[in-house]
Amino acid sequence: MNAEEIVAKISSEIKDKIQEAALSAPRRIQVKVAREQLNAVLAYLKNQLGFTHLGTISGADLGDHFEVVYHMSNASATVNVRILTPRSDPRIPSVCAVIPGAILYERELQDMFGLVVENIPDPRPLLLADDWPAGQYPLRKDWHFERPAEVIPGGA
Amino acid sequence: MEYKVALGPQHPALHEPISLRMTLDGEVIRDADLKLGYNHRGIEKLAESRTFIQNLYLTERICGICSFSHQTCYTQGVEKLMELVPPRRGLYIRVLVCELERVHSHLLWLGVAGQEAGFESFFMYTWRDREVVMDILDWISGNRVHYSMNTFGGVRRDIDELQKKKILDSLDLLRKRTEYYLNLAATEPTFVGRLAGVGKLSKEKALALCAVGPTLRASGVAMDVRKDDPYAIYDEVPFEVCTADSCDVLGRAVVRVKELIQSYNIIEFLLKNLPEGPVKVKAPRKVKENEVYSRYEAPRGENVHYIKSNGSDKPERLKVRAPTLANYPATIEMLKSGFIADIPLIFAAIDPCICCAERLVQLDNPRSGESNILTFSQLRTMANERAKKINFKKKEIAWPF
Repeated sequence: MNAEEIVAKISSEIKDKIQEAALSAPRRIQVKVAREQLNAVLAYLKNQLGFTHLGTISGADLGDHFEVVYHMSNASATVNVRILTPRSDPRIPSVCAVIPGAILYERELQDMFGLVVENIPDPRPLLLADDWPAGQYPLRKDWHFERPAEVIPGGA
Repeated sequence: MEYKVALGPQHPALHEPISLRMTLDGEVIRDADLKLGYNHRGIEKLAESRTFIQNLYLTERICGICSFSHQTCYTQGVEKLMELVPPRRGLYIRVLVCELERVHSHLLWLGVAGQEAGFESFFMYTWRDREVVMDILDWISGNRVHYSMNTFGGVRRDIDELQKKKILDSLDLLRKRTEYYLNLAATEPTFVGRLAGVGKLSKEKALALCAVGPTLRASGVAMDVRKDDPYAIYDEVPFEVCTADSCDVLGRAVVRVKELIQSYNIIEFLLKNLPEGPVKVKAPRKVKENEVYSRYEAPRGENVHYIKSNGSDKPERLKVRAPTLANYPATIEMLKSGFIADIPLIFAAIDPCICCAERLVQLDNPRSGESNILTFSQLRTMANERAKKINFKKKEIAWPF
């Protein structure tokens, strides 16, 4: 099944679960869904169309919203499943029940964007230091690194 | 009685820091946990404040072994955003360097596997052969580690007839030696005995945990980005996807040796069919608003760069997922029900690429498994307090000289 057929199949079979499905480039399919429908759509892609491989989960800060993209691949195409979550309520559902290999990517999203992944099996921080201050999310656009002033022990 | 053992951050198999915590029952591993972040450098944040052309050299520095993989993955993504089509000669040379890098990475891994299995002459042999590839790379790019061959719209250096001839001559030597290694890896009883059955990963688990590269292919799944989502000129190059069904470390070794032979065939094909013409086209500085999901088959597996542009000369977002991260959940699965003695071997089998320490792990009570983690700032305070207690004040005895 090629990418055009996959778009047609998605658009007809799970029409009520998605907001938009389109071909953006050769072998690249863009699908927009509401966050409540995410697990149902990923399960459909995995079980019905053979999209078993989750490449990664990319987050992006769009200002008043966060965009989260799940990149699902099979042998003929890649589907980018996109959800938006408001900055005031940055909750996204965990997809680990459908794709167990997503755990590290979800922990990374929590560290870097401060998203709250609901029902995540393992919520510990992944990459940031143990003494990293709470509420600091490095990949948000309003976070800027300020190099602390260098203090020479014993005075200058 | 279960024990918890902390291994690392200085890992016995690697020269890079990662912390493993294992719950042991005797010598059998019941559960394993990984701690990452010892070398988090903030490259994704840094990339947002650099121009596309500066990021070309930044992405190359993500890794010291598959540097060209990251650079090519990024370049191909940005070329799609710029709607650039590089000339065919440029693409042939790019793929040539890709495959030479794969050869050097796989030879390096074979050496490490040999060393972990206690077969050190194998390590000496493969690393000697790896120098042949490193010399070729040095000769065509001027560098041994960061080749800097890519630019938007092609490659930065052309190759000449003399270089072509030298590469083909070296290939004969490498091919002969690799066939010997394949024979050795499949028949040498001590080597096979050490690797067979270690680090089992079933096909179903490998797929569910989204493993990539030789780790996945050794579990019998023929997934290779070069075939599934062909980039550059891979759709016109004849090659086979190598798999194994044994689902263990031996399978991963065999897959890599077979891939070496495939890579030699690809390199030979590229050099014999190298088209004439320019190697690059001119690229714009600014990129219109768009996004791209770029996939690349690195020596360790599928490498992913997700790039969003916003119409300026800097990316809005660059997301990098290196193949090793994708293989961690599978590694935990492989470690379970293995032995302590197999840890270096299993861990080295995914060919991990990590990298600087920031904290210390102390086991207060090895019997109960209670652990105490000190952060770097606590450690520094402790060191300062200890230093204050030491009496450095004027010594009574005068220095005799």
